[in-house]
Amino acid sequence: MLTELLSDLRYRVRALFRRDALEQDLDQELRFHIERQAEQYVRAGDPPAEALRKARAAFGGVERIKDDTRDARGLMLLDAIAHDLRYAARGLRLSPGFTLAVVATLALGIGANAAVFGVLDRLLFRPPPYLREPSAVHRVYLASTFRGQPFTHHTFEFRRYLDLTSATRSFAQVAAFATFPAALGTGPDITEASVGTASAGFFDFFDARPVLGRFFDRVEDSMPAGAPVAVLDYGYWQSHYGGRRDILGMPIQIGPATLTIIGVAPRGFSGLPDGRPPVAWVPITAYAWMRRHDYYLNYNWGWLQIVVRTKPGVRVEAATQDLTAAYRQSWLAERAMDPSLAPLDVAQPHAVLGPTQAERGPEAGPGTHIGLWIGGVALIVLVVAAANVANLLLARAFRRRREIAVRLALGVSRRRLLGHLLAESLLLAGLGGAAGLVLAWAGGAALTRIFTTDLVPAALTDPRTMVFCALLTLAVGVLTGLAPALPAWRGDLVTGLKAGAREGSYHRSRLRALLVVVQGALSVALLVGAGLFVRSFSNVRGLHLGYDVDPVLYVERNMRGVKLPEDQQAALNRRLMLAAAELPGVVSATEAVSVPFYNFESRGLFVPGIDSVSRLGRFQLQTGSPDFFRTMGTRILAGRGITTEDRRGAPPIIVVSEAMAHRLWPGRKALGQCVRIDADTAPCRTVVGIVEDIKQRSLTESGGATYYLPADQLDEGAYGLFVRVVGRAVDASETIRRRLQQEMPGASYVTIVPLARILDTEQRPWRAGATMFLVLGGLALVVAAIGLYSVIAYDVAQRTQELGVRIALGARLRDVLRLVLGDGLRLALGGIAAGAVLALVGGRWIGTLLFAVSPRDPTVFGAVTLVLALTALVASLIPALRAAHVDPNLALRLE
Amino acid sequence: MTEDRLDLPQGTLDLLILKTLSLGPQHGWAISERLHQVSRATLQVPQGSLYPALHRLERRGWIAATWGASENNRRAKYYALTSAGRRQLDAEARAWSKLTHAVGLVMEMG
Repeated sequence: MLTELLSDLRYRVRALFRRDALEQDLDQELRFHIERQAEQYVRAGDPPAEALRKARAAFGGVERIKDDTRDARGLMLLDAIAHDLRYAARGLRLSPGFTLAVVATLALGIGANAAVFGVLDRLLFRPPPYLREPSAVHRVYLASTFRGQPFTHHTFEFRRYLDLTSATRSFAQVAAFATFPAALGTGPDITEASVGTASAGFFDFFDARPVLGRFFDRVEDSMPAGAPVAVLDYGYWQSHYGGRRDILGMPIQIGPATLTIIGVAPRGFSGLPDGRPPVAWVPITAYAWMRRHDYYLNYNWGWLQIVVRTKPGVRVEAATQDLTAAYRQSWLAERAMDPSLAPLDVAQPHAVLGPTQAERGPEAGPGTHIGLWIGGVALIVLVVAAANVANLLLARAFRRRREIAVRLALGVSRRRLLGHLLAESLLLAGLGGAAGLVLAWAGGAALTRIFTTDLVPAALTDPRTMVFCALLTLAVGVLTGLAPALPAWRGDLVTGLKAGAREGSYHRSRLRALLVVVQGALSVALLVGAGLFVRSFSNVRGLHLGYDVDPVLYVERNMRGVKLPEDQQAALNRRLMLAAAELPGVVSATEAVSVPFYNFESRGLFVPGIDSVSRLGRFQLQTGSPDFFRTMGTRILAGRGITTEDRRGAPPIIVVSEAMAHRLWPGRKALGQCVRIDADTAPCRTVVGIVEDIKQRSLTESGGATYYLPADQLDEGAYGLFVRVVGRAVDASETIRRRLQQEMPGASYVTIVPLARILDTEQRPWRAGATMFLVLGGLALVVAAIGLYSVIAYDVAQRTQELGVRIALGARLRDVLRLVLGDGLRLALGGIAAGAVLALVGGRWIGTLLFAVSPRDPTVFGAVTLVLALTALVASLIPALRAAHVDPNLALRLE
Repeated sequence: MTEDRLDLPQGTLDLLILKTLSLGPQHGWAISERLHQVSRATLQVPQGSLYPALHRLERRGWIAATWGASENNRRAKYYALTSAGRRQLDAEARAWSKLTHAVGLVMEMG
């Protein structure tokens, strides 16, 4: 038995490595047999030619016997695959134009999918790096009801974190974390970066060991002040310290504090991703202490996120109940401090446990929806590309049907033939997939810009993307290979031979026409999507926000530990405003505490005759100088704005927005009403003006209710100012920063944030949708145009004789053009009609993502129809012109 | 005439090849000729189908192939029985005679 196995193995290996020699041997062996047999017939009296014929007949189909013999060698599969691939490669080398077209088409299709997959995988599926047992880990969300509207949030107060931690029993681990932008370094090297802050227990969620030093511990993360220590991010350590190993104990300036470096996190560690990856980690108590000394005492400052790990055996439902009970208890504690908070039965506070991927949680932004849509669109592009490749392969198979028929007649089995065809399509798909990976890698940078994230992995080094790409490639290879294999299998190609068909005869395949129509239809659907998103984006941009964006910038003051008495802070603000206002090109400046889409302030409000103001909605606090409304461009609808008269000591006033006036005093005059701030014993503030509402939390919200107080009449100074310039604020940023920086004492500094940049982030989902649909729709259109062109061009080539005869018989240029163009346009019209139906049906799902555009927008449909018809015209014009110039003599000579 | 000729039962071709080669090394054509003559043209073996069988037997190590000069002085591939092949032939021949004997007994029952 063993010797048999060894012999078998030896034989197989020899067969594998000496394939050519063995093939020659087999040839020689069989030829010898046939000639020897023929010799025998000659001796029996047959003439030599007849003898050879009889010998061949007696022997049987040589090709099939060779196949069977190879089979018997036990190498069939391996050998056949290698053989088929070599054969296919030879065939592709012989037609480089065809190969290039197919590979490019597939590269675009597969590349688009690989790139989008990389982003979606990070956003939705892949657990954060190093996280231990991700299925037991959850992000905490808290929900409550405001004016009948459910409202979920994920940033909490430190006090809430303490409440929830101490009152729950279901969790093995609870940790708090956050990321914040901070100035890094000193002097001219100041850069702004994202810094992570976490409770000491946060690192226990991960199987991450510092590459250098250690993470901070519970002693260093203890209330109230924490310890001034920092753990560097691996990437930052590499880029800024060149990976030096002697950095432990060195100081690092983060925001206002000088911290000591105690460790370096492992490569790729980013906690639970949340925007930009942080450059360093600091204890959460140390960070909170930098911001406010009372952070752990009250519920005024919501900023941190909570992550929990359920105890083994505790189900999510039970843990959620446990957490909800703790939240209700905490709600009551908060209500004891702030009686304006709605009671339990109204607010119905409860907890939600979400997955670690924020984009799959209850607060997922429109980015996720749009991302999934883009994923679907990318797949459609791939289908279009694959249809095109199938079409080209089919054309090629028809061109080669004589060769195929001859091979079938020679006794090549159908199975082998299928193998040949599949080998060719798989080889093409493989080349396309490889090129696609390179494209995805190159396109990754573009995707990073379109999505908010830095999460786009390098396609060439990411195993998950590679596996996805390989699977896609395989599927495409098999599916496109089946297109030409099907008719070959059914024997349609052989009947062609039997009927005496020649390479030159005209044969229009219905399957090919169908594929072109499908491509056209999908392109139409995608382009309609693109059109709808482009219109949405332009609507979003044209949206009336209640303030101007382009000419306004926000100047943020970062005191960095420089402590100033309150009166000096107010003086500094005034100096900054004066300095800014004196700069050429600056129109006006104002102090402010809130910035739209950036940070929010609010206070307890008390209005005579209303039990609980907060039950009527959320109201945002803004403070301003006399020039506030001029600077922002917010219109005053009634009464007046803030003036120089509204000083400290003057009668306290308040300006409210339209929606707030409407909610607090429905049907009544708001001017002259009384509002108290912070306590119902505070002095009455008289409503002196009503201004338009502003959008500050979401672009889709209606009526952001806001109230404005004169900066001078508030104890706390503002954190920054708004400056309005002539022209675009982005261009003036640096000049303003340089001038204002001169006013800043000590290590404190200013940062400039143009409003346009803040709004840019908000508009990103729509811009991303518009860009991606346009790019992918355009891609699909190009591919479909190539498909149409190839079908028409192929038809024209096949009909050369017929057209020649027509021309010889007197057909004019116009007739021939009409004949060919008509063919192309008929296919295009089929595609347009099918695509329009597809777009109308698909529009129902896309409707919610659009912004003030109907999914049946006639302009978009009309434009797309026109674009496709024109494209079809151009695609068929080239072959049509060629057809019109067929030389009848030449064509007839082919006969 | 056709009724007199028999298709080979499955698997017996191997046995016949081994038996033929037990008389001495032969090339493919000679094996086919010999089968034809010895069976008095009764056995219907398409000449080509011999070769897959020969290569299968070679892979199993029951026969070995060498290139040599044929009777008309051409290069031909000769197959010879190996010792493993001889043992295999003995085993298969015994099994075969047992089978034919048993089938014969059953058929004679009338």
